[in-house]
Amino acid sequence: MKSKRISWREIKRQKFLMICTVCFVIYGIIFYYLPLGGWIMAFQNYKAKDGFFGSEFVGLDKFKFLFSDSTFLQVIRNTLAMGVLNLVCTFVMAIVFAILLNEVRLMAGKKLVQTVSYLPHFLSWIIVTGILHDALSSSGIINELLVKVGILDSPINFFAHKGYFWPIVAFANVWKETGWNAIVYLAAITSIDPSLYEAATIDGAGRWAKIKNITLPGIKPTIIILLIMNVGNVLNAGFEVQYLLGNGLIKSVADTIDIYTLTWGVGQNDYSLGTAAGIFKSVVAIILIVAANQIAKKTGEEKLF
Amino acid sequence: MKTRKLTCVLAALLALVMVLGVAGCGKKDGRNEDGIYEFTMFIAMPGSEINDDNEIMNLIAEKTGVKVKETWLTGQSASEAVGSIIASQDYPDFIDGGDGMMALYDEGILVPWDEYLEKYPNLKEMYSDEEWNSFRQEDGHIYWANVFQNTYGESRATTHNDEAFWIQVRVLEWAGYPEIHTLDQYFDVLTRYAEANPTMGDGLTVIPYTMLCEDWRYFCLENAPEFLDGYPNDGSVIVDTSSGTPTIVDYNTTPTAKRYFQKLNEEYKAGNIDIEFATQTYDEYIAKLSTGRVLGMCDQWWNFAYTINDVFKQQGLDKQGCNYVPLGLTIDEGMDNRWHTYDDTLNNSSGVAVTTSCPDPDAAFKFLNDLLDQEIHDLRFWGIEGVDYLVDENGLYYRTEEMRTKAADKSYQASHFCNYSYMPQYLGTSRDGINAMQPNEQTSEFFQGLAEPLVKCFEAYGAENYPDMIGSVVEHNAPWFPMYSYSNNMTTATPGGVAWTKMGEVKHEWLPRVVMASDFDKEWSDYMSAYNAVDPGAFLAEMQEELNRRAG
Repeated sequence: MKSKRISWREIKRQKFLMICTVCFVIYGIIFYYLPLGGWIMAFQNYKAKDGFFGSEFVGLDKFKFLFSDSTFLQVIRNTLAMGVLNLVCTFVMAIVFAILLNEVRLMAGKKLVQTVSYLPHFLSWIIVTGILHDALSSSGIINELLVKVGILDSPINFFAHKGYFWPIVAFANVWKETGWNAIVYLAAITSIDPSLYEAATIDGAGRWAKIKNITLPGIKPTIIILLIMNVGNVLNAGFEVQYLLGNGLIKSVADTIDIYTLTWGVGQNDYSLGTAAGIFKSVVAIILIVAANQIAKKTGEEKLF
Repeated sequence: MKTRKLTCVLAALLALVMVLGVAGCGKKDGRNEDGIYEFTMFIAMPGSEINDDNEIMNLIAEKTGVKVKETWLTGQSASEAVGSIIASQDYPDFIDGGDGMMALYDEGILVPWDEYLEKYPNLKEMYSDEEWNSFRQEDGHIYWANVFQNTYGESRATTHNDEAFWIQVRVLEWAGYPEIHTLDQYFDVLTRYAEANPTMGDGLTVIPYTMLCEDWRYFCLENAPEFLDGYPNDGSVIVDTSSGTPTIVDYNTTPTAKRYFQKLNEEYKAGNIDIEFATQTYDEYIAKLSTGRVLGMCDQWWNFAYTINDVFKQQGLDKQGCNYVPLGLTIDEGMDNRWHTYDDTLNNSSGVAVTTSCPDPDAAFKFLNDLLDQEIHDLRFWGIEGVDYLVDENGLYYRTEEMRTKAADKSYQASHFCNYSYMPQYLGTSRDGINAMQPNEQTSEFFQGLAEPLVKCFEAYGAENYPDMIGSVVEHNAPWFPMYSYSNNMTTATPGGVAWTKMGEVKHEWLPRVVMASDFDKEWSDYMSAYNAVDPGAFLAEMQEELNRRAG
């Protein structure tokens, strides 16, 4: 396919569109690309007093420190593990939820469930973690329930055991985001041609067969695109949840790259190290998203770019 | 035509935004319409904000021409809060950055005190020349002054404003006021009491022992070994003088440390330690203590007592003997203890500072000076004469029971009292030579204010006040005391500072694990290898260097 040449005449004709575009390019440069200049900090021993130009250059020292620091390797592991866990759980749950909701015949019930289920999305994490913290505390509802039912002899402290932390975070994410994420899939499902379902019914397909053969293939492009976009976000496994629910005892499984950046960059005033950790995170995110896109391309599916 | 209209509207909007933006940036001269400076202050500690129309704050503003809006730490650690203030470049006029002071100094945003010290006699009077010199930073200037533990005239100390293993007086009363010198005896009486009295009057189960591990407050768990070995509160290390030359010793690895944590481990497994100890926040801890259900803990007086004693008084729990008294425990029977510090402790690592964003530093320092005037000092800590306290024919201040209860009421404190608690202040004797600088040190007030069970407890042990109760060896501070004033300000710029930060991280994680371990010995040796892996030697070497300098 030959790409069409753009002539000056056409540009003139679309003057207004061009001006709009230029505005957004400038906006993008100012707000997305200029701040990247700050990355220079990672190669300096940056002191705010001396500024970018006065600070001493140290080359890759900060990166060397990062990768020789066992804590940093630990936070990478935690970030990846929680990121993948969150991605899989919220992703699968949202699709399942959207399909189930689509099968509800009663319109009023469907609307009600949908509205109620996406409301948690609008709660801030500080509230969600507050609720979780109370519910899981040793005198909280979960412990009370487990003891009353006889599963436990005495209350346990959920936040003192390393094994529980990742599932708790995943659960919190699922609880908060399932309803919201399902909206996209619900919209995709409604765009499927109803005549397909009718034809299938005539052919004697049951509900299960229709889900498997019509609904799922129908929303497959949406699923793939969202998956690619979310893979890039795996390293954004979270900051607030882990920061607010974590504690000294389970630090080694709870801290994420973002928290590491905060404790060293802002807490210890070592902006350089914080920036280096941030750069690492961005680079990995780019690699992940390109890889996911390539795979999608190879398998002949929808792709982002 | 339509597009032009849209452009016009957009342009107008843009212009409006710019005008607003510029107006927002307008430099304040800091005075309100009455000519009173309204300064801001950030304190890197949790605290309670007072009302904007606080009565005494306005009274002080009338007399000094300055009022200060204090904001406190919420939800972050102190160094993170200071870090974000630095990153935002938006500084308050006054700041007490806790262990983030060095970062503020490095930014060059603090105003040197030197010329103002010569100008304002009350400030100068706070410390001796030698003490002031200890606040000097590398560039030779003074940038902050610690405001605590500074005694004017004769000492009137009635409280043990230090660390201790605390115990509720009702436990001691129930056990017949036994002598308690060791951890074993301490936990024995706590658990026996809890068995005999498993619930409070309102049905809450009692918790024999809890401890706080949050952020820097994990000293409640972490530094007891130095005291158990009979050393004073050097905070981050032990200074051993037995060989003649003062030597730094790491209290984390002593046999005493192991015995202490093993004891905690046994008690944890026996169910005598709060299962939430490792994960509770400071607020949760204080809330727990406020119910009166915690029988004992290891803590610093200032970390709990000011809040807890007020709550106990409000709720009548003090009458039930919930107040805490300190015990001077040691690891073995018959050792001297040095839990109590008799002299003032000069912690030169932090304090109140004035920042370069203050529109009129001179007014700020004048205000600090004014706060130390006796009249203003009395207003801050005693309140208004005739309302909060009365004066008898000898000039002695006293309060009625009603005034005392009112002074402990949170909402009254917020609307009426304004003690600017992180601004310069004195303990000890007032300039009139009769009264104490602060009511809780007024001997008559102290006894009047004690609940009956406390009085009975003091009598039983032949003590007149809290320091008698803990019975520490009376001695003066060593010239290097306290060593923590050095370690508090270490930064990650040196290997020792990096080691110090990492030691803290390791201990934060491992100490609770060790206490909760099912196999103590294995967990302890794992902890020791994790601890040694972060090179504590580098830290200890830098501490030794500083010790040599101070002892020199």
